[in-house]
Order: sequence, then C-alpha cells, then structure tokens
Amino acid sequence: MGKSWLRDYIIKRLIYAVIIALGILTITFILLRVGPSSPADKYLANIAARGGDPAQVQTAIEARYGLDKPIYVQYFNYMGNLLRGDWGWSFSTSMPVTELIKTHWIYSFQLILLSSLFAAILGMLIGIYSAVKQYTKADYAFTFLSFIGISVPTFWLGIMLILVFSVKLGIFKVYYDTTLPLFSIDNLKALVLPVITLGTGMLAGYVRYTRSAMLDNLKKAFVTTARAKGLPERTVIGKHVFRNALLPLVTIIMFDLGSIVFGGAYLTEYIFGIPGLGQISFNAVFANDYPVVVAVTLISTFVILLVNLATDISYTYLDPRIRYG
Amino acid sequence: MKKFGFILALVLILVTLITGCTGGGIKQEGASVKGDFIDGDSGGDAETLNWILAADATSFGYAGHTVDSLATYDNQLNIQLRCLAKDIEVSPDGLIYPVTIRDDLKWSDGSQVTAEDYVYTLKNLMFSDWLNYPYKGEWQEQVDGNTVFVTPEVVNATTFTVTRQTVYSEFVYTIYDLIPYPKYISTQYEGNVEAFTQAPEFNNLSYTGNLGPYKFKEWSRNDRFVVERNPDYYLGKDIGAPYFNQYIIKLFGDSATRQAALEAGDITSTGIEPAEVNRFKSMPDVKVYTIPSPAYWLLAYNERANGWQGLKDKKVRQALSMTINKQTISQAIMLGFAEPAYSFIPATSPWYTEEGVAKYGVGDLYDAGKAAELLLEAGYAVRGNDGKIKAANKDGSPVRLILATNTGSKPTQDTVFSIRKDLSQLGIETEIKLVPWNTLIGQYMMNKVPGSNQQPGNNNGPEAVSQERWDFILLGFSTDLLAPSGSNVFFTTKGGLNFLGYSNTQVDDLFQRVRSKEALDKGVRQQLYAEISRVLSDEQPVDFLIFNRANVGFQKNVMGIEPGVSMGYNYYKWYFEPVK
Repeated sequence: MGKSWLRDYIIKRLIYAVIIALGILTITFILLRVGPSSPADKYLANIAARGGDPAQVQTAIEARYGLDKPIYVQYFNYMGNLLRGDWGWSFSTSMPVTELIKTHWIYSFQLILLSSLFAAILGMLIGIYSAVKQYTKADYAFTFLSFIGISVPTFWLGIMLILVFSVKLGIFKVYYDTTLPLFSIDNLKALVLPVITLGTGMLAGYVRYTRSAMLDNLKKAFVTTARAKGLPERTVIGKHVFRNALLPLVTIIMFDLGSIVFGGAYLTEYIFGIPGLGQISFNAVFANDYPVVVAVTLISTFVILLVNLATDISYTYLDPRIRYG
Repeated sequence: MKKFGFILALVLILVTLITGCTGGGIKQEGASVKGDFIDGDSGGDAETLNWILAADATSFGYAGHTVDSLATYDNQLNIQLRCLAKDIEVSPDGLIYPVTIRDDLKWSDGSQVTAEDYVYTLKNLMFSDWLNYPYKGEWQEQVDGNTVFVTPEVVNATTFTVTRQTVYSEFVYTIYDLIPYPKYISTQYEGNVEAFTQAPEFNNLSYTGNLGPYKFKEWSRNDRFVVERNPDYYLGKDIGAPYFNQYIIKLFGDSATRQAALEAGDITSTGIEPAEVNRFKSMPDVKVYTIPSPAYWLLAYNERANGWQGLKDKKVRQALSMTINKQTISQAIMLGFAEPAYSFIPATSPWYTEEGVAKYGVGDLYDAGKAAELLLEAGYAVRGNDGKIKAANKDGSPVRLILATNTGSKPTQDTVFSIRKDLSQLGIETEIKLVPWNTLIGQYMMNKVPGSNQQPGNNNGPEAVSQERWDFILLGFSTDLLAPSGSNVFFTTKGGLNFLGYSNTQVDDLFQRVRSKEALDKGVRQQLYAEISRVLSDEQPVDFLIFNRANVGFQKNVMGIEPGVSMGYNYYKWYFEPVK
C-alpha cells in the first residue's frame, strides 16, 4: 500500500476519462448530425445526371441508414448499441465499424509507435551529445540539421524520400505493402521511409528540447557536487543530469504522441498509402460517415486521456517528490 | 450505356481501366497465366460491393470485375455481347425488347443464371420501394402524366422481355448494362433493407460464379481491392483467359506517389498527369497511351433570378463565349491533352457533327472586339470617350460577376483564372470562388423557390434560386457516347440537372424527339442530334470548353492492349509478355 494514493488517483482519472469521453462523443455526434451535409451529397449530381430525382435518392439513402429519425432517437439508438458493443455500420466502407477499426488500427499503431521510438531515442541521444559537446562543430551541425528537420513539411519530405530511395535507388517500395507479415523484416523495411517521414519533425524537436534541458541541468550545483565526489562523467551525465532533464522531455514526448494519434499521422499514411485510422477517419469525415467519425473520435479521446494519465504516473517515478492528492 | 457501361466507361478510361471484355476468341500467341496486374488509382475507394445500393462509379467498377453486364462496346463503339446470347432486336414499334441470355452462365452454387434472375432483379429489387435503387429512374417512363416502371416478363429460362408503353429510342443501352442478382439468395433478404445492405453474400461478391473474369478475393478499405483469376469464366474457358493470377487495384493518396510507383515498377498501370506525359514517354519500361474520353468541361451561365440579368440574353452569352479562349485552356493549361469543345457530343461519338455548329472561342468566333460590340448591341456595355466599349449593367454600373468551381484540381483552377483574364478584356470583373465539391452542389447548384418548403434540388422550377449567388460555374461532365440524349438533364426546361435555369421550347422539343419513335430511324436521330448541336451552339446556355484526353501508362510488358475510347473492353485478354 506504498502508493495507495496513486491507485486512488488512477481510478479517479479513469472515471473522469469516461465522463470526458462521453461528453466528447455527445458533442461530436450532435455536431455531425446537425450539420447541413448528408452522406448522399456527393451522389446527387451523378443521380440527376442520369435522370434520377436527387431529393428522392437523398431521402432513400438517409432512410437506409436511419438518418431520417429525430436526432435524439438516433443518439439514444447509437448509445444503446454502443453499450452492447455494436458501433454501427460504416456506410462509406460497407462494413461494421468495429471490424473496420479492428483491421486498420494496427497500421496506425505500428507507424506511430516506431516513429515515436525512432524520434525519442535518437533525439535524446543527439540532444545529450550536443549539450555535452556544446559549441563544437558537431553541436553546430546538429543544431543546423534540427532546424531543417523542424521546418521541413512532412508531405515534401515523404515525396522526396520516395523519389530518392524508391524511384532512383530502388531500395524501398513506393507504397506500403499491407500483405507483408506484421512481424517480419520486410514489414520493418517497408516502414523505414514512413517512420522517417513522420518521425523527423519530432526527432528534430527532441534534439533541441533535450539539449536545452541538459544544458539547464549541467549548470546546477548538484552536477558540480557529483563531479567533486569523483563520479565518472558518464554517471554524472547519464544518471544525474539526464534523469533531471527527462521530466520536461516526457511531457513533450507524451504530448506529441497524443497529437499524432490518428490525426497527425494522416499525412504520412496518405503519402505512403498506409490504410491506417488517420486515412479511415479523414475519408469518413468527407463521406459524412458518422458512425466511423464518432468511433474514431472516441478512440482518440481515450488514447489521449490514457497517454496523459501515463505521463502523470511517470512523473511520480521520475521524481518521487511528486504526489497527487 | 446508362448505368454500368456508362460509369464503367468513365472508370475504365479515366481512372482504372477495368472491366469489359470481348466475345471469346482465339488464345493470343504467348499469352499464359502469369503474375499480378496492379492498377494504381487515386480516385478514392468504393463504397460497397453490393452494387445495387451504390451511387458511385468506383463501386460499380469493383463489382464489374466479377460479373459482366449483358453487353459492352469496343473502341469503335460496336456492341460486344457479354451475357447476351444474341443482340437485342427491338420490336418495330420500339416498345418490346426481347433479351436472350447465354445458357452457360452459372451462380457460385452451380445453378444456372436464368431470365428469372434478371426479371427478379428488376421487379423485386430495382423497382421496389423498400430498396430504393438510386437509378430506378432509368427504368421509368411517363404515361398519361404518371411515372410508371417498364414491364419485365419471363419468357423462358434464357429469354425475358422488357416492355415499354412509350418509345425511348436509346433505351436499349440501359438494358445492355443490366446485371442480375441471384434470386435464390436475394429472397432471403427481400423487404429488409438493413439485412440486404449487410448481407455477406453481396458484400463479398460470393455469388458471382462464372459471370466475370475474376473472383473476389479481398478488399482492404482505402488500400486495395483484389480479385483473382476465375478459371471458369464463360468467355475465357476456351482460351485460358484471363491471364493474370490477380488483378489488384491499389489506392494511392495522390497522383505523385501513384506515378512514382509506376516509374519504380511497383505497379503495372496508372493514369498519367498531362505535365508528366513526356517524361513517362521517355522511360524505356513504360508505354503511355493517349486516348479520347467522353469527359468535357463546361462553363454554365446562371439564367436564374440570382444570376446576372445579362445572362438571360443570348447575345450576351455569345459575347462571353466569344471572349473565352479555348485554345489557351486546351493547349496551355491541358498541355495539348484536350481539344476545344463546341457541343455536348464528343467527336468520338457516332452522333457528332460540326456542320452548322458555331465554334465560339476559336478562330473567327474568338474575338473580344466583336464580343464587345455584341454586348453593346444587347445594352450591356457603354462606349467610353476613348471609343472603347466596356461591359456595364443597364444602369451603367460596372459588371462584377462570380465564377465558382470545385477545389482539388489544378487545371480547373488555372482555367477559372484564365477565364477571368479573358473576361477582363470586356471590362468584366470576375470574383472566383473555389469551394469543396459538396458546397458547390449544395449551395450553388441546388436551388429552391425562396420562402417555399421545397427540398433543395438541382432544378426546382424557373423561380428557384440557389443559396449562394453565382454567375458562372465551371464543372466537368461526361456524355454517353452512344446515347448522348441523356444530356437533356442539363438543357431541357425540366431537366434534372438544369441548375442553370435554361429554358427553350425548341430545345425541349428536339430532345423529346430524339428519344421518340421517329428517332428509332438512325438517320432521323442523326439529323436531330445535328439540330440540337446547332441550336445549343447558337444559344450558348453553357460554354462548352474542352473535351479531355486521358493518358494511361503501362509497364511495357503488358500485351494485348487496344488503345481507344473503350480501352479496357478486352482486358481479360491482356497478358504479360513472355520472357525471351
């Protein structure tokens, strides 16, 4: 029961998460349904062009998916089904929403996970090196490259990587191949360019944040004390300075992780033809496919809330002085 | 070709080169089953494989790999029989259409596809209230002021008839596109639209038997659609076709990566943007075909109450069309992969004529000076002290107009800016509105009578106006090459897509006649189409801008391709060149 306060805190936060998710779900549902768009919109001209009656078809398509009922009826039906584990039928992809998410989440997850690891590990290593070797040629070079990394647009970088490494050098396939076994070298190889594309901006940021946080701590008295005690420089940097620099870094990394979940990864998925949830939700928005949009929003909300919770919990381990009431 | 054929033709030519095939034949030398054909596409995914519920072209395209229609057409627009055993011979009065299907068509359970399946599909599915087939209008006619369905009837196992009460000279093309649903499965879901929508047999195309060159294998949404060789295909069994193990449609987010994939050899075929054609033509492993297409662009003039008053005047419309340079659009913007259009009928259509058609926007009829004189004659211009004529409203105020089009296409956007520049020669200021497609349809094209309870529609009568004010709309459209009378939706007073509010009794009458009994005589129909083309080119309800040409790239080892307007019609006989 050493950390019973932490358990209580987690339970409290999980309850809050459910309430917040419910609120966001409700707002999303209402916003989507009161908007002027209809899933039939994009067909209307096509239908009229072939002699059909657009109004009749719009009514028919809305009736087919139960969108002709009052919003509150649709809402309670949706919530009731949701509680029973039925997330509805995606009318832009013609499959159950749960099935759609089940088959596509892994593409986003592996991309986000590998990009985050690539950016965080490499970013922190370079950042530490830059801080320790401050004002050396290597530091200047990493600083210069970091600013390029932060500035370069994802879309441009992805296309350039494809042109150089896929088209010119023929090392990688232009697009991500979904038929590759998940746990295979080929799959890892297929993810190299997407991971670099998504991770470069984050990596550059982490280099700058790590360098800055390390430099802040390197100037502090405890570092001088550690060195005066005769501790090896590697221990001083790795165990004392870096651990203290880690706290703000964890916040930033977790924040990034939250922001790229589904939405932020969309561009990379788009460029490399990865059918992840980013693409699925983007297309669903344009198709007015409400069940998918609401479901993905709900999942994103939960993921972000859980990431925030994990961040808070990690603080207590990184700095034992931190306690939540 | 109304439904499948029409939509498939577009998909085939412009996007993915998919279905259709020829009527059997001799095995091509060197053709053997080998490899996967990967077709790169960035036009978006299909909505459903349960095609009877679909309104989008891609869904029809996907399903079309696994099940043939009754007939299709080749590059010379000759009808090619598919599930038909013989061509449809319409009764002399133009009312009865006997349809005889092949006797070797099978569903997946081995049972024969019969006339009963076709009639069931029409009567119990397409014509039903519970299913609400989006294109049921194609099977309806007006009789004594009432909208009624045509009457399908089974004659025997392989023959059925479709009977109309009124003549529609091009109705046979609607029938050619018919595809059946299996009665033995459909009856389980009849009357329950939710169950029908979610039926696994229809969503997995597991019923298609030997009806198509390929069988459904996998559909990964927003990723790829995979069909595998159907060894039992009724047209392929004697010649061993099709010759690809799998036909894969791989979706890309944008054209740059799609084209890069062709360049890298990761895919077999894809459409090529005009700016990239020369580069791809210089590649040793790629062949690029430039083919005509039924797609065209038009500039609609708003003649409704919320459009500029001047647009109701034919002379003003002629003046504007005389100022817009079609050569700039076809040569500078489309880089030569388009040609100026003067009619809704493309040159590849057998009904095309240039005789008597006014060619606004080129030659003598591209003349800003003459256009200014026309405006002055119409009272929509003033002559300044320097002698220059400048467009003006009746009260002498400057003319400021709105040109709307959809976002997402650079050539389209370049074109609206070119038009703005052209119109500035007349002293017309043009405000450009680039809006999403849904907004363009919903707020600019759809209209209703102000203050009424009407549901917005594309043509809610002469008093109806759109939510947003506009004067010009630039948009793309396609003509059915064999049955161009479908364009009546734009130009007739009650046309379903007459959002521009154009009304001319002569045009109404001509379109009615070209679909009538007298037009069963092809000579008469030809004359009527020529007359419609002449009248519309004089009236200029819209400015026909360009007819597009499509560019399609293939890896060089793909053999058997016949480039043309219906390029994919024999795709089941395409094969990879044998390694020497």
